[in-house]
Amino acid sequence: MPFREVNSKMVEATVGPGQKMFSQRGAMLAYKGEVSFTPNIQGGQGGLMSMIGRRVANEATPLMTVEGSGTVMFGHGGHHIQVINLQGDTLYVEADRLLAFDGSLQQGTMFMGSQGGVMGMVRGQVTGQGLFTTTLKGHGAVAVMAHGGVIELPITPQRPVHVDPQAYVAHHGDVRNKLSTALGWRDMVGRGSGEAFQLELSGQGAVYVQASEEKL
Amino acid sequence: MTAPVIFDPYSLPTDDNVNKYTFCVELKSSQWFLQKGKMIAYYGQIEFNGVGHGRLDRLLRTSFHSPLHAGDWVVADGSGKMLLADRAFDVNSYDLDDGNLTIRSGNLLAYQPSLALKQSIVPGFLTLIGTGKFVAASNGPVVFMEPPIRVDPQALVGWADCPSPCHHYDHGYMTGVLGGIRSLTGLGGTSGEEHQFEFVGAGTVLLQSTEVLMAEQATGQVANEPGVPGGGQGGPGQAGAAPRLPGQLGDLQRRFGL
Repeated sequence: MPFREVNSKMVEATVGPGQKMFSQRGAMLAYKGEVSFTPNIQGGQGGLMSMIGRRVANEATPLMTVEGSGTVMFGHGGHHIQVINLQGDTLYVEADRLLAFDGSLQQGTMFMGSQGGVMGMVRGQVTGQGLFTTTLKGHGAVAVMAHGGVIELPITPQRPVHVDPQAYVAHHGDVRNKLSTALGWRDMVGRGSGEAFQLELSGQGAVYVQASEEKL
Repeated sequence: MTAPVIFDPYSLPTDDNVNKYTFCVELKSSQWFLQKGKMIAYYGQIEFNGVGHGRLDRLLRTSFHSPLHAGDWVVADGSGKMLLADRAFDVNSYDLDDGNLTIRSGNLLAYQPSLALKQSIVPGFLTLIGTGKFVAASNGPVVFMEPPIRVDPQALVGWADCPSPCHHYDHGYMTGVLGGIRSLTGLGGTSGEEHQFEFVGAGTVLLQSTEVLMAEQATGQVANEPGVPGGGQGGPGQAGAAPRLPGQLGDLQRRFGL
C-alpha cells in the first residue's frame, strides 16, 4: 500500500485485511479503524536465522507489525520523512532510519565487505553504517527518516554522484559505491577542508541525501 | 532561492504568519494575552504588563480564569506590530467563532482577550471559549482529524468542539501463550503503542506531526476538593507515578504486581 504524505513530517498509510506492514516501534501518531500493533521480536521478516543475523549485524531496530483495517499516521522524533517506492529493485538503508515499510518487501542484511572488500568495510565506518546495512527488495513503499529535508539525486552511468558520507541517507538501484579520499598533506597537519572523504556512487539508480550532516 | 524579504511596519502582515515559525499580531490600542518570553520583536508603542496588574483587573475578570498560573502570562497593550515565535516550532493561528477548543498548555502562545481562557478538567490542558483568534505552536505542521480516532498521547495538541476524550488500552498481544511469555519475561518488549487517547463524537482533533512534546507549561494546581480530577497531591491511584522509561512494560508491571 502506498504512503500518502500528509506533510513533510508525517505519512498516512492504509492497511487492509490480509496486508501487513512493519514500522518502527512507537512511531504511530494516530489511527482510525481497527488496527493492532504487535511488537516484533524478530525485528522484521524471515525466520529465526534472519533474526539472529540481524542481531549479530546490529541491524535489529525495534519494529512492530501493523495489521487490521484502517488508516495509520506515522511520524517520529520531528524527522523529515521521505517515501520511496520500489519497483523490484533493492534499497540500501540503515535500519534505524526505517520508519515504516510494506510487508510485501523482502528484508535482508548486507555485509558491507561484500561490496568492495576491505574498502567497503572502511566505507561503512566512515558513513556510520557500520559493517552491515539493511536491504529491502521487491515492490512496495518505504518511509525513510532523515534529519532535515531529503533530496533525490539520480545516478546515471555517465554521471556518478559524490555525497558527503554524513549526509547520505539511502540509495537504490544497481549502484556501486566507493569511498573516494582526497587526503593531502593539509589534512595531516590538521588544516584539511573537512571534506576529505566522499562517497562516490556510480551505476544506475538514485541516492537520497539529507540537508544536514547530523545523524539520526 | 529568493533573497531575504525585508519587512517594515507597513509590509508586515496583519494577524498572519510572516513565515512558518513567526506570527505577526497587529495591535490597535487593543490587547493580547501572550505567554512570557514569546515576543521576539515589535514595532510601535506596546507595553507589556504582567498579569495581575491593577489596571488590567477588568480584563482579567472576563478573559483569564486560571488564577494559579497567572505568572506565566503577560498582556501586550498598545498600538503596533508584534512578532511571536517559540524555539523554531511551527506557529499557526486559529479562529474560533463562538466555539471552544482545548489545547495542551505548552502549545498555546497567545490569544485575543475576546476569548476566555479556562483550565480544562483534563490536567495539563487549557480551554479557550468564545470568539477570536489565538496562536499556537506545534512540532511540525498541525493536522486536523475527525473522530473517531485514536491518538498517541504525545502527538495530541488539542481538540475543538466536544469530542469525548478517553483512554484506550490495546494489550491484545499480551494474551495467549506467546503473550503470556511476553508479559512475564518482558521478552519482545512492548510496541510502545498500547495506550492511546480515543476520541469519539463530533468535533475536530488536532495532531502535531511528531512525537516530540513541547515543554509542559504549568497550568497551576487545581483546587483540592472532592470531585475535582487531579485535585490535591497524590490521590490513591497516583502513588509512585515515576516517569516511564522506554521499553518498560507500561503499567502492566504494576498490574501484575511486579
